[in-house]
Amino acid sequence: MTVAAFEPYRAPGPARAAAVLGMWVFVMSEAMLFGGLFLVYVHARLEHGDAFVDASRHLKLWIGAGNTAVLLTSSFAAALANHYAAIARWTLARRWLAVTFALGLCFLAAKGVEYALEYREGLAPVFGAPFGYEGAPAEAAELFFNLYFAMSALHAAHMAAGLVVMAWAVARWRRIVGARRHAVVHGLGLYWHFVDIVWVFLFPLLYLVR
Amino acid sequence: MKPQAKLAAAWIGLLLLLAASVGVVFLRLGPLGTVANLGIAAGKAALIGLVFMELARPNPRHRLAAIAGALWLAILVGMAAWLASA
Repeated sequence: MTVAAFEPYRAPGPARAAAVLGMWVFVMSEAMLFGGLFLVYVHARLEHGDAFVDASRHLKLWIGAGNTAVLLTSSFAAALANHYAAIARWTLARRWLAVTFALGLCFLAAKGVEYALEYREGLAPVFGAPFGYEGAPAEAAELFFNLYFAMSALHAAHMAAGLVVMAWAVARWRRIVGARRHAVVHGLGLYWHFVDIVWVFLFPLLYLVR
Repeated sequence: MKPQAKLAAAWIGLLLLLAASVGVVFLRLGPLGTVANLGIAAGKAALIGLVFMELARPNPRHRLAAIAGALWLAILVGMAAWLASA
């Protein structure tokens, strides 16, 4: 006996509503993943307050602030892409999605430069690299930098995943037809805004505790 | 207000909040500075959620998903705080 494949929500409206709700549920589950890490950070910060303040001063404040502005702007571009997709102005939607992608790449490039500078200064206690921190309790500072690299790298990995899907959407734009396009742009936008919100909390906790 | 203008206003608001959070660092407020910056971060997250993620629109399913996420995070943080204080 053969059973016909069940294809739910063939109608464009319900299909998009289901896709967007699915993305909401996904990003909220991701929020739990980051929530656990934030909790570890807060616990360590309460244990080693002064050492974390000293260690935070070694981070590049202006690169972090500039990158925050870039990410907030990329979120604005993603929201514009969704707006234009909603009114079927596809050329503008694709253009703003491409702007979002370019700004995301800028963020990751700046993050890479920042990591390289920290590695050179001996502030990256990862993959067996020497930790040359000079200052009060080096163990606590090492914990700060471990958390800094774990949290910012996990965030960067989420950004990279978003950029891969965005590149796929922009490259296959003509093959994604009709209401599905809006679902893709809307879902990608939601994911991107979530990644933005995570950074909005990472920035003050890591860079601004000085 | 046109939708694009509303999005642009939110973006400018976010950049102003970013400038405020960097400015707080130079006031040297100590732990109060961290509290102020977390408050500013919450303001930024609210702007992104309400305007960019469209939570201001009356869509109960999306609001339910966002509230459920916030509730589970609150349980996570609340239980950790309770265990830490016990």
